[in-house]
Amino acid sequence: MKNVRNFCIIAHVDHGKSTLADRLIQACGGVSAREFHDQLLDSMELERERGITIKSNSITLEYRAADGETYQLNLIDTPGHVDFSHEVRRSLMACDGAILVVDASQGVEAQTVANAYLAIEHDLEILPVVNKIDLPAADVERVREEIVADLGLDGESAIAVSARQGTNIDAVLRGIVERLPPPTGDPDAPLRALIFDAYYDPYRGVILNVRVREGRLRKGDTIRFMHAGTEHEVDEVGIQRLGREPRAELVAGGVGYVMTGIKSIKEVAVGDTVTQADQPASEPIPGYKAARPVVFSSLYPMTTDEVPELTRALEKLSLNDAALVYQKDSSTALGFGFRCGFLGLLHLDVVQERLKRESDVSLILSAPSVLYKVTLHDGTTRDVDNPALWPDPGTIREVQEPYIRAAILVPEKYMGSVMTLCRDYRAVDLSMSYLAVGRVEVVSIMPLGEVLFDFHDKLKSLTRGYGSYDWDELDYRPADIAKVDILVNKERVDALAFLCHASKARPRALHYCEQLAEAIPRHQFKIPVQGAIGADIIARSTINAFRKDVTAKCYGGDITRKRKLLEKQKKGKERMKLVGSVEIPQEAFVAVLRTDQDT
Amino acid sequence: VSTREAGGLYVHVPFCRRVCPYCDFAVRTARPEQVERYVHAVVREAALWADWSEPLDTIYIGGGTPSRLAPEQLGRLLAALRASLPVDPEAWITLEANPEDVDREQVAAWRALGVRTLSLGVQSFDEEQLRFLVRLHSPQQARRAVELALEASFDVVSIDLIYGLPGQSDAALSRDLARAVELGPQHLSCYQLTVHEDTTFGRWRATGRLSEAGEDRQADMFLQVHRTLQGAGYPAYEVSNFARAPRFESRHNKKYWAHVPYLGLGPSAHSLRVHERWWNLRDVRAWQARVDAGSRGVDSSERLGAAELALEAVMLGLRTVAGIDLEAFRARHGIDLVSRNARLVARLAEEGRCRLEGGRLRLTQDGLAIADRVAGELELRESGP
Repeated sequence: MKNVRNFCIIAHVDHGKSTLADRLIQACGGVSAREFHDQLLDSMELERERGITIKSNSITLEYRAADGETYQLNLIDTPGHVDFSHEVRRSLMACDGAILVVDASQGVEAQTVANAYLAIEHDLEILPVVNKIDLPAADVERVREEIVADLGLDGESAIAVSARQGTNIDAVLRGIVERLPPPTGDPDAPLRALIFDAYYDPYRGVILNVRVREGRLRKGDTIRFMHAGTEHEVDEVGIQRLGREPRAELVAGGVGYVMTGIKSIKEVAVGDTVTQADQPASEPIPGYKAARPVVFSSLYPMTTDEVPELTRALEKLSLNDAALVYQKDSSTALGFGFRCGFLGLLHLDVVQERLKRESDVSLILSAPSVLYKVTLHDGTTRDVDNPALWPDPGTIREVQEPYIRAAILVPEKYMGSVMTLCRDYRAVDLSMSYLAVGRVEVVSIMPLGEVLFDFHDKLKSLTRGYGSYDWDELDYRPADIAKVDILVNKERVDALAFLCHASKARPRALHYCEQLAEAIPRHQFKIPVQGAIGADIIARSTINAFRKDVTAKCYGGDITRKRKLLEKQKKGKERMKLVGSVEIPQEAFVAVLRTDQDT
Repeated sequence: VSTREAGGLYVHVPFCRRVCPYCDFAVRTARPEQVERYVHAVVREAALWADWSEPLDTIYIGGGTPSRLAPEQLGRLLAALRASLPVDPEAWITLEANPEDVDREQVAAWRALGVRTLSLGVQSFDEEQLRFLVRLHSPQQARRAVELALEASFDVVSIDLIYGLPGQSDAALSRDLARAVELGPQHLSCYQLTVHEDTTFGRWRATGRLSEAGEDRQADMFLQVHRTLQGAGYPAYEVSNFARAPRFESRHNKKYWAHVPYLGLGPSAHSLRVHERWWNLRDVRAWQARVDAGSRGVDSSERLGAAELALEAVMLGLRTVAGIDLEAFRARHGIDLVSRNARLVARLAEEGRCRLEGGRLRLTQDGLAIADRVAGELELRESGP
């Protein structure tokens, strides 16, 4: 056990986590040049493109140290984005130490802080690494100071590397062995193994990644998931190298995979504890928290004949995305679709992108919503995340909405505008503290529902990209929430309805109307686009009727060209949603969600 | 496709003294010897089409600037067309001319060659507008050209105007129209300025130097032109064409709008026969090289299926004030246009955009302004979504 190290790499987005992981793998001979893939642990194309890691994964490396000892290094990858912080937590729980990567030019950023605090909270030993020292703007000394000042860690011993150029990678490996602790745990105690990841393999079913805390896990064992209460037969255990390598057993302190023939990822809760069915541990490993969707949106295909394809695509996607929940939904305007739950806006975005990539379905999304707790006059309480199911306002006694604690890191000069932004987004409690010279952390207690309205983009543009934030769910608080309907040509388009704070209803409705009026092409008649609460029209915009659409010249040479244009136009019509007598292009639905408003 | 009506013959003359900044036709400047080579090539191309069997009863010499050809060259060209192709001895000949090329001698020569319609590229009678369009003639020259043409007693004198220039006021447009009407030509073509990408204006638009009028302004001007000319005794018979009486309407152009066969000679010219359309190489030199080598100057062709023919018939028919003969359309394309589009037609009628009368579907002035849109909206398939 003393020759094992279980560690992860944590970093702010784009600080070079994956590149460093690749270098470590290469340095340990884990990959031949041919096999080497740019960002090995990010196995999905999309993740590579977005520069973020969504699914955790792990790999076991063999490192022969200068003292002649061979170490087994279990590198556990973690997702790097704020929306996936619960996934970060469970990955951290599998580790004993963490490499904290900080960009030598960017310095400590919001998720550097958030991740470092998470690691400290999980009692991990932290090995700071300053990366990208090859950049012209690199300022290693300043970053060392930030590591001390912002994180309270030993910045002076931080290892300066360039993962891209492969500089100083061996120092990192030595650091892992010398400065990160080996695991502890009794191999002869009853089995407790943490499931820190699970993924679906089309040939082998669901494969679990586990960290064994105590005891042993062998092929043929009957195991029990302590939270789920289900039991399964173990088909195979082993460690993950470039491929899976079967082993006789996984022992306390170790990390590896377990195959049980489970067919659906939904049967596995990441964070659950595995024990032996015949000799169970008395307590599961603490810290289990179910991943709960907090953002909801409905997905519809542009045309109804795409429903089966969308169904297939969602099923496929959810094979490997346990956090994605969905159920059938139907809209008067848009027909059949799915109501989906997401971990946050980024998760929504990633799912949407993946659906686009893996199928030809043109998607329409309804405005994202949070989950509201609605108490009616009859005393009953219900959860509502869908505007379509919003109760009659006359029956509502009280509505509560979810609040978050957002930690926003910005250069000091943007502090004022960020505080103003938060207030605009209905922050109820704002505090700030200086982290280092020129850097402040603004902590904002604010409704999650507000953040859905473009908070992230606003923050980014307000701070010229330097601002970043992380958030945690906090609690539910009373709120005056209204359902805003959008009417196109006097017809309610249910999929465009949204829920928002009453004080924001008018400006947001106006913004929606204006965006729609921009995006819906002129028709042969004038089209009012209105926002309404109940029967009250609170916003209005108008799409004028067509007045001029005819080619001036149409002689011999113009006829083919003009006909082709018309053919194209007719094709385009097929890609529109007919709502009443108005054709709404997909772009219009997308435009509405692009909430670059001033409120 | 009707074959009962005789076809038309088009000759494209690709030369101009200067290329206008709005023009996207196949034109270029040329030296006299190039023009002469071109005439030879057209003569040769006509001979290469000797097996064309459709009778032709109109000849349209357009461009470019056909008045760049000397009368002698024009005469040779016409003689060659008649020698090689089944041209009716009474064929109606139209010639396009620029005002700066018009003088007493020229018009007499054209008249002697049998030209019956002289179409004058006036574009505007306003000095400032002419400058903006980089035309080579003055308002005085334009007026003089029209007067000379009218004196020469062509059957039809037609004036081409362009309207909708950036910043053109209602009053300026009114003045231009009034000047044209005053002169009393038999025919007017009024084209709303279209900015094409690959032109000087197109590049100006891309860089913000030129901005087109908005849709509402364009519509207002379109209607102003139609109402003014209607009031002045020049009712429209097509989106951009106006005639003092039906007999002055362009016989040749109406063939394009009715799928009557036509043969085009010269670079970029288009031809249609039954279900086939083809077009010549656009580049003068490429076309000429091909013809000099003994081949027709055809670049490419397309076969018009039932769907294409129906769509074109709607698109072209709606542009004409006479509209679409519904029974003939049904017989030819197998579609009952009105019952297939009952809702749309009813709404258009209600808004005063179309009329159903005498078994025809015709667009009103407000309807003509959106003729392309209507053509795009009409459902032409057996049963649609």
